[in-house]
Amino acid sequence: MDNTVKRLLERLVRRIPSRMLKTTLDKWSRLTATQRQSIDYTESKWALTEKLLAICEENELTVKHIAELEMIHVIENPNLGMWHAFQLMDPQGDAHSVELTQFKEQFKSHLSELIRHVSIKIKKHTDEAVWIRIAWGDTFSRPNHLKPTYVVHYLQTPYVFLSSLTSKQKPLLSQALVLSTRYQAIKDANLSGRKLTAIRDLLMKQYLQVFPTKFPSPLAERNRVVSNLHIEKEQAGSAANRHQMACEAFGDGLLPQLQSAVYKLETKFRDHTNKTMTERDEPFRCVVKFASTNLLESLRHSASSGTQKVLKTVIRITIIVFCKEVSYVTITWYVTKSCRILTASLQVSTRGHQSPGRNSHIVMLLH
Amino acid sequence: MERPQNSVVRTPIESIVAQRRSKNKSYRQSYRSCLGAASRLGHAPGWTARRLNTSRRTKSHNITEKVNPEDLALLVKTEWQLSYVTPLYQFRHTQLRSYSRQLSAFITAEKQQGLAVEVEGAQTSFRVSFSVVQGLGETDDDAETVLVQIHSKPVFAGKDEAQKLVWSGWLTCINGNPEYLHSLPKDFTCLPLFGSRGAENLTSLVKSWFQQTFDCCFGPLEINQTFLQWLTALWTNCHIESSIQHLKMIWTLPVEPPLQITYTVNPQDAWELWNSVRTPSLESREEEETARSIDIEEVTRFMQGLMSHFYRHFRLDLSAGRLSQVSSALGSAKFSGRVKMSNSRYVLTTLSLLTECALLKMPI
Repeated sequence: MDNTVKRLLERLVRRIPSRMLKTTLDKWSRLTATQRQSIDYTESKWALTEKLLAICEENELTVKHIAELEMIHVIENPNLGMWHAFQLMDPQGDAHSVELTQFKEQFKSHLSELIRHVSIKIKKHTDEAVWIRIAWGDTFSRPNHLKPTYVVHYLQTPYVFLSSLTSKQKPLLSQALVLSTRYQAIKDANLSGRKLTAIRDLLMKQYLQVFPTKFPSPLAERNRVVSNLHIEKEQAGSAANRHQMACEAFGDGLLPQLQSAVYKLETKFRDHTNKTMTERDEPFRCVVKFASTNLLESLRHSASSGTQKVLKTVIRITIIVFCKEVSYVTITWYVTKSCRILTASLQVSTRGHQSPGRNSHIVMLLH
Repeated sequence: MERPQNSVVRTPIESIVAQRRSKNKSYRQSYRSCLGAASRLGHAPGWTARRLNTSRRTKSHNITEKVNPEDLALLVKTEWQLSYVTPLYQFRHTQLRSYSRQLSAFITAEKQQGLAVEVEGAQTSFRVSFSVVQGLGETDDDAETVLVQIHSKPVFAGKDEAQKLVWSGWLTCINGNPEYLHSLPKDFTCLPLFGSRGAENLTSLVKSWFQQTFDCCFGPLEINQTFLQWLTALWTNCHIESSIQHLKMIWTLPVEPPLQITYTVNPQDAWELWNSVRTPSLESREEEETARSIDIEEVTRFMQGLMSHFYRHFRLDLSAGRLSQVSSALGSAKFSGRVKMSNSRYVLTTLSLLTECALLKMPI
């Protein structure tokens, strides 16, 4: 049996937790019913690997089939590995009407043109996401299935998520993506992390953020148990206000789990008590990094406990900046209204990873 | 037993205290009562900034002239865990060799769980050396710094392999409060600051030996907010002489889940901000910039400037949280009591600040 198949299968069985192995193999549906029943899932991983190798040899399965199995596992567990978000820019006329078969054909043909030996597998998931697994080879060697790149693209949106891509492979993949999706360029969205679901939700705004004009006060049952009657009574009014503002800014439900945000600020220092610094022409440079196990939750709690004065617009702009929805016109307006800002750039990540590479200079707003 | 009068804030009550002292008894003065009379009157002494030196002279010292550069190299560029030590009873700088042997035997005995070990035995697996770092003290009242090093063979070493340094520590007193030092009875040596680096079990063994032999007490030294702010200001002040390369502060906010904010400021901007909050010098112009004394108000204004800049952008009040770490190219200091000095020129300034912190933390 091919050595690569062996290694790939061994590695895969090691990676998949025992409790999920059965369901993953069933989904794979490359094993007959008798074969599936003959596997004892309580055995050690090593014994399981041997058994599976024997079955695969029986069925004459190749690397491509094992790659399929790996893909199923990754799709089921998207929150492993490091994902980087990218955004496609400047759509051409028919960019919004690209549909699955067209995309598949175009992508495969473009990538195969750019690089001779490459193995591509495309699969559409139920939630409109197209998953692509790429094993890279070059002119002299066969595709390396042990280091595949995974790409997730949501059709009709400009967002692409990549994992495990080297810098040599990046231009080739970018070219293929751009051509097959009918856009003109692709750029780094400066958002990366381990939880694909979190960065996807943030980028594609799939979280509950309420910007209502009228927010009903929190129901009485939701309030905490009163610890000290006197203090609670005095603070009740302002506490309720703060809670309301926090909910308006952050929404009431689950927030996407960001772990860190880095702000690079080059803004003018203004303090009415300090004349020398205020009159200074050069900006005050500093870098601020927020870190927490769940950053937005911490900020929401700080807003409701009073350590932070939530200004809805500040948080809104921050979140919107992630989604790159603010047009330049709006930003300029904020710049002229507020105290003289120069630029600020923003890098956000989940799980502590800082995305390297160029920061987009996003102007932040101040009050 | 005449106590020298110094320029600390004096109230009339102070002199009454001096009169009450009889010549026969030796009073163990509490550090707090040396600084203010309030404690004598029974008011609860608070750890307020008022008790600390409200102004310090900062000077970079070319201490390579005074101190052996090899000894100095042992102190800098490593991270030390700090504790405070109450004064040691009958500690003699002349008996260091005997202390080395005793400590070595103690450690070996503890490791072997109570078997008797010869003090003069040659084949102990731990070799301890006590040494004095000459010239590190600033005033004549400061006791000489003592350095303790433990060498040992690694577990699976070959026969001829040399012993390696596995633990080192030092006891020091730099610029200790002279009133307090003079109020100590004769047999006590005050070396309030203890720094250690190495395995935790060895640290606790060394501490228990000291406690047994010299009847002293060790305790963890937490560097509180005020001291961390002093260090921030002191390091920024040194920027023109030796670049600090960045000024990094880490704050923790008490929210659920806890939020950590790392605020790094460009050194040139930090220095300009610092310069802008300095009160104009009333002293003569020949005085060097860096030798001027720094007041607590200047430090407070500096920190306020940094925090207000942050507030303008993020609407988050940093003073609701806690400054837990300050670091720059000159060193780093953490709230938990870990300190690193990276530049030998500022060792004395940092150590005198920490000595004061230790003296204040001591319970007696």
